[in-house]
Amino acid sequence: MKLLKNIFLVLNLITALSLAGCTVQQISEKNKTERSLFAMNTYMTFTSYGENSEIALQEAADFVKKVEALWSVTDKNSEIYRANHNYGQPVTISKETEDLVSYALEMAERTNGVLEPTLYPVLTAWGFTTGSKQVPKKEEIAVLLQNVDYRRIELAGKELTVPNEMQLDMGAVAKGYTADLITQLLREHGVDSAILSLGGNIQAIGSRPDGTDWRIGIRAPWEDGNLGVLEISDAAVVTSGGYENYFEDENGNIYWHILDPVTGRPANSGLESVTVIGSEGRLCDALSTALFIMGAEEAGNYWRENGGFDMLLVTNENEIILTEGIADRFTLGDGREETVQVLES
Amino acid sequence: MKKKWPFIVVGVLLLFGMIGSFLVQRHPDTNLVEIVQDGQVLHRLDLTQTENQTIEVEYDGRVNTVEIKNHQIHMLEAECPDKTCVNMGWLNSAAPIVCLPNHLVIQFTDIPENIDAAVQ
Repeated sequence: MKLLKNIFLVLNLITALSLAGCTVQQISEKNKTERSLFAMNTYMTFTSYGENSEIALQEAADFVKKVEALWSVTDKNSEIYRANHNYGQPVTISKETEDLVSYALEMAERTNGVLEPTLYPVLTAWGFTTGSKQVPKKEEIAVLLQNVDYRRIELAGKELTVPNEMQLDMGAVAKGYTADLITQLLREHGVDSAILSLGGNIQAIGSRPDGTDWRIGIRAPWEDGNLGVLEISDAAVVTSGGYENYFEDENGNIYWHILDPVTGRPANSGLESVTVIGSEGRLCDALSTALFIMGAEEAGNYWRENGGFDMLLVTNENEIILTEGIADRFTLGDGREETVQVLES
Repeated sequence: MKKKWPFIVVGVLLLFGMIGSFLVQRHPDTNLVEIVQDGQVLHRLDLTQTENQTIEVEYDGRVNTVEIKNHQIHMLEAECPDKTCVNMGWLNSAAPIVCLPNHLVIQFTDIPENIDAAVQ
């Protein structure tokens, strides 16, 4: 009899607990606020949970518009545009722009120029910025490459000097950098559970309202579906891949928008996509591009030498290379045939 | 104990309760999608109920053609320089199909349970 009683007690508890899960979900859905906007040449969606979400997301959206107006490489009134079109004369910039440019130059230095914020004229020659994509002639690329060198950019306090014929473009770091600033803003409003997508750059604040990790789908390169799911909290996740923006010529050759700064041609290092995971969106954004260009071996070396982030590489031989920090957090999709290799430090 | 039936009744009720509580929690992935332009929902459809069809949407004189086929949705054609939206294939997981120049978005109204966001 006692055994039966205990069994009933346990079963009761299980029932009660499983129903309790229902209520938690309802409560969290009530405090969920969403906001979407077109900015920085992309589509952004912000989802926040908790009391001050409404006002926090409003401020976040306003902030994005504000910095977009400062950093846009195409907006004639932006600080970056003015610096690019001042014939090598200095331009006075805001603190926000100073911080961003400083960071971009620092990352260029740390990646030995693999991340090149002055590659814009070459990107333009390929038509990725104008919409009319084409393969430029070798000679044209060679001439343009003469004006690609981040070391010639001068940043002295609030004075930015872009030498004549050069163009600075913050495209590779701006979204990640903005994500970090918005995260700060949200936290200041007491938000401790939110998930932001800035054109596919993901930034997670805290965990889901129920305390579990956010589940982030990683797109399979060149396909519709997901490669698998990454479970994270309090982290940024940024992916770079050729499939994001590419064109095909008459012969079926594929050219994508991630260019190797040394050759001025699409980087072809054997990787289909690079996903970088870390606590800061700016780092993940900067590295996702750089590591894609570097290729698996060099990316592995960079990781071992620098640390401070985790990564998931997809090679053109259907291999997934994961760093040990996220090995437990990634689940390969059902029925997928990629092999998974874990990198250890 | 002389009378056993109260325990049997309670036991059966409990059993129903337990089964019920588990059933309540299983909700299927929804197939509701929205076609949104400049923040305005133009169309809301349940893919499971929709027949194969195409929907044309215009922005500034440029046309996007959305296709629903075999209960899936995608951008069939787009009058925009990039065609990024067309290359995104069939709508899946939490990543919307976006045509930036034409401010058009195709997305699930409810993100499928198993994914919170998709990194692209």
